[in-house]
Amino acid sequence: MNYLLHLLTMINIYAILALSLNLLVGYTGLLSLSHAAFYGIGAYISTLLMINLGFTFLPSLFLAIIGAILLSFMISIPSLRLKGDYFVLASLGFQIIVFTILYNWIDVTRGPYGIPGIPRPNIGGIKIESIASYSIFSGIIAVICVVLFYFIGDSPFGRVLKAIREDEISAAALGKNIPQFKIKVFAIAAGFAAVSGVLFAGYMQYIDPTSFTLMESVFILSIIIIGGTGNISGPLFGTILMIILPEILRFLRIPDTVAPNVRQIIYGILIIVIMRFQPQGLSGEYRFE
Amino acid sequence: MIIQLLLNGLITGCAYALVALGFAFIYNTTRTFHFAHGAVYTLSAYIFYTFYNLLNWPLFPSIILTLGLIALSGILIDEIIYTPLVKQGASLFIQLLSSLGLYIVIINFISMIFQSETKILNPNIQPTYSLGTVILTRIQVITAISFIGIFCVLVVILRKTSLGKTIRAMRDNPDLVSAMGINPQNVRRIVFALGSALAAVSAILTGLDVGIDPHIGMVAFLNGAVAVIIGGVGFFEGAALGAILLGLLQSFAIWKISARWQDSITFLILILFLLFCAEGILGKRRRAEEVKV
Repeated sequence: MNYLLHLLTMINIYAILALSLNLLVGYTGLLSLSHAAFYGIGAYISTLLMINLGFTFLPSLFLAIIGAILLSFMISIPSLRLKGDYFVLASLGFQIIVFTILYNWIDVTRGPYGIPGIPRPNIGGIKIESIASYSIFSGIIAVICVVLFYFIGDSPFGRVLKAIREDEISAAALGKNIPQFKIKVFAIAAGFAAVSGVLFAGYMQYIDPTSFTLMESVFILSIIIIGGTGNISGPLFGTILMIILPEILRFLRIPDTVAPNVRQIIYGILIIVIMRFQPQGLSGEYRFE
Repeated sequence: MIIQLLLNGLITGCAYALVALGFAFIYNTTRTFHFAHGAVYTLSAYIFYTFYNLLNWPLFPSIILTLGLIALSGILIDEIIYTPLVKQGASLFIQLLSSLGLYIVIINFISMIFQSETKILNPNIQPTYSLGTVILTRIQVITAISFIGIFCVLVVILRKTSLGKTIRAMRDNPDLVSAMGINPQNVRRIVFALGSALAAVSAILTGLDVGIDPHIGMVAFLNGAVAVIIGGVGFFEGAALGAILLGLLQSFAIWKISARWQDSITFLILILFLLFCAEGILGKRRRAEEVKV
């Protein structure tokens, strides 16, 4: 039972990550490889506030979101003029810079040793301690986020994002301030990724930089590519599939030494096949055209 | 000390330049952001390791066979992954993502077969040459000479032969190339074979120098791609220039700061270039609608 609840919690955490990346990739057409960086920034900011300064959960969640939003300007503003491949490379660069900082700034982040002993959330006297209560707690936050994503996607703001994705120059010709929209959507996506990071840190009670690598960014991207982008159902579907898939592989008795490789090979093949035959993913809307 | 750093930077730059030139050949000609170039780099290092270290073949046959196999695999990657997408009229995003998928597949196959620890290709202590206070290892000298030789040959091919003209024409306008009665597919094959072989040369030289692990390809690819962009996309000479500049900057940055920050420094350089000189050293400004997504 705990095992199923653990999977549910992971699905909740990754659903927020996938849907927030979807705002960039599926709505705005910005292929970003830096989502794990914001996920990590959220996890580290809240953890450091709770452990070093004795903050409680909600204020540290709030400050983690603010921190991720501020840091998102560091990538969104320089890369505003960039398109396509250049943007991908710039976002990849940001990811690597953040990882290197988490790994090497040992005085603050403890680098590769990681930070243990992260407290479970305590909200107004209600302590979320057991795995079951954590899965419910993360589920409530995930549902709130999904509703927010739905409203963002359906709002005039969301429609402008789709216009930017389809034809940036035409959207600009209609008087839309493209840079402003890109900066905003990046900030929103980074803020939500930070929420996932805070949830992850509170759940695992231990974080180290290896959870926030470039490969993690690629994994989050592959969730939404396989599930589909540009709507809500695609990323949700992708999250459930990609969290459950490794568990199915476990029953196939693949030796532990090669299991991570086999898993990644399957992700890779899935990406290639989907891009070739069904670029909108299993349940998405945007065809990367 | 300064001269030593300068030479080290130049030679690192030469190794990057080979990868960058390979990437530029493919990117400039086909517009495919060939992420899997990094996987091809790793693959060539391991193919060479198999022949040279596991099967104990002599050096030169191992190198020749590796280059041949890698050129072939470059063509196969294009035929299996990219060409069908191009024929479907798929966007460059789709090609980029497929390339990322292919990278994941190849790298994981390699680490599944060979494990992920570092393998040393050349266990002997390398002979060194000293010129006054400057010391260079033999492999460094060979790297520099190979780069200069290969670069000269490439420049002659690109500028003087009809093949070079075709490649440059394809860079400027692929539709017109096929209108001239040249099969663009053949040009693609040549470009992918040549580009992959260039990465293999760099992988073998660097592998003999510092050893190999499955992740060397990503670092090499990133340095190469960053070099292409800071040198100026669309210019084959720009790739080499960018790579050497990157090698020099890294060499001095490592001396002043620390090697742990090397990758961050690479991307800081990239981001500074993108901010202040987005078209690269040799590039010229283009209008927004000219820049292909």
